[in-house]
Amino acid sequence: MNASQIVEAILFASDAPLKADEIARADESLDEDRVELALAELQRAYDESERAFELVEVAEGWQLLTRAEFAPYLERFDTIPRPSRLSGPALETLAIIAYRQPIGRVEVEYIRGVGSSGVVRSLQDRGLIDVVGRGEGLGRPLLYGTTSRFLEHFGFASLDDLPRPEDLPVVLRDNPPLGESDDDATAFVDPNQLSLDEVLGVQEARKAVTGDAGSAS
Amino acid sequence: MGRETSLFTAREGMLDIDIERFQGPLDLLLHLIRTQDIDIFDIPIATITEQFLQTVKGIGPGQLDHAGEFLEMAASLVRIKAQMLLPRHGDEEDEDPRAELVRRLLEYEQIREITDRMSVAETERARRFSKGWVPPRPRAPLAEAELETTWDEVLEAALRVELPVTSDRGHRVTLRAVAMQDKVKLILETLQAHERIEFSKLLRELDRPEARMHGVMTLLASLELTRRRSMYMRQVAHFSELWLYRRDEEPDEIESEVSA
Repeated sequence: MNASQIVEAILFASDAPLKADEIARADESLDEDRVELALAELQRAYDESERAFELVEVAEGWQLLTRAEFAPYLERFDTIPRPSRLSGPALETLAIIAYRQPIGRVEVEYIRGVGSSGVVRSLQDRGLIDVVGRGEGLGRPLLYGTTSRFLEHFGFASLDDLPRPEDLPVVLRDNPPLGESDDDATAFVDPNQLSLDEVLGVQEARKAVTGDAGSAS
Repeated sequence: MGRETSLFTAREGMLDIDIERFQGPLDLLLHLIRTQDIDIFDIPIATITEQFLQTVKGIGPGQLDHAGEFLEMAASLVRIKAQMLLPRHGDEEDEDPRAELVRRLLEYEQIREITDRMSVAETERARRFSKGWVPPRPRAPLAEAELETTWDEVLEAALRVELPVTSDRGHRVTLRAVAMQDKVKLILETLQAHERIEFSKLLRELDRPEARMHGVMTLLASLELTRRRSMYMRQVAHFSELWLYRRDEEPDEIESEVSA
């Protein structure tokens, strides 16, 4: 039994991306460096032997995924679960949170121009975002960030895989505009208003902050 | 101008759809600007406001959820329009009233661009399959219950409380269940005979281990009867005797004194 085989067995049996140091826990003979060597070896072996799957870096870990060209065959099977797609508002909200994290709901709403508590909550329910802290200021608003499930959902290895602002046609300003001026003509969200969501969400937040806030980076 | 008018007539038929189609007022504004090749840094605010207002008029009564956000933006546009008419002091610091709106529009446009790209990434990722995808376990939904407690809930919770039977471990001790109904009956019957009764009298002969349970149930019964307006309670001072009073038809003059 060599290291590559052990790593392969672990990757095969896992249904979520695994980090190299996590894989290394499987045996005393393994450490992070050896696992990374084994991963590279496996990656090359799968490529050379034209397997239908490949070793992909996702969400700061490694996972066996089928190659995209086999999608048409796999999609015919009801028994193969397909990840559900996000709605337009959900994608838009997620994009804002991904680029501005940690960010509060009120700021998300200001950027989108529409109320977003429902979307934020459903993204949280799906594990794509989580509370990562509390902001300064009135009501100490909950701040959200993306999770590793977010990276998995989009197949990003890390947040660096997000489209870079400099590649985009217009320039995104660095800082959120909230609180900049006192009489903001276009502001329509009262930042002092603590919503029921937030009142009820306090416990959740505490849990998230004191405990393992999760995978948000 | 003529071009704009014709463009707008053409769109009038789809005013209802607009609200559905656009993510929000910023999306709609961007659409108006981009489809008419308007310079975003020099928005003809009067024209855009006019068009925006016309579109907003198309919001049906079934879309009132969204209406507020569009109306808010309409109000902002009107305000900017008014500010544009005011003479400015030529001060460098005096910002163009449109500046913040333009900034938001550009920012929103960029977010839309990112959203599109993320959507492509999502599609790409969906074409690769992992070995069994486990859907995330949904969190327990946050209860949307009202933040208040009713008497029934208090009673229900109280009735669920079980006293620990520490010393009786190993024995087969049958705790006599103390029913609140029994206590209710006892109180009502007592009050039929007497106009008032001390709370302690209702418990007087109970000095056994279950006494506490009887005390609790008697108090709960009293509270319940008070709630039903069958009786009322009075206490002159803290820790003084609690009196249970029969409640007659017109307890007006006493009611103001009731503190329990």
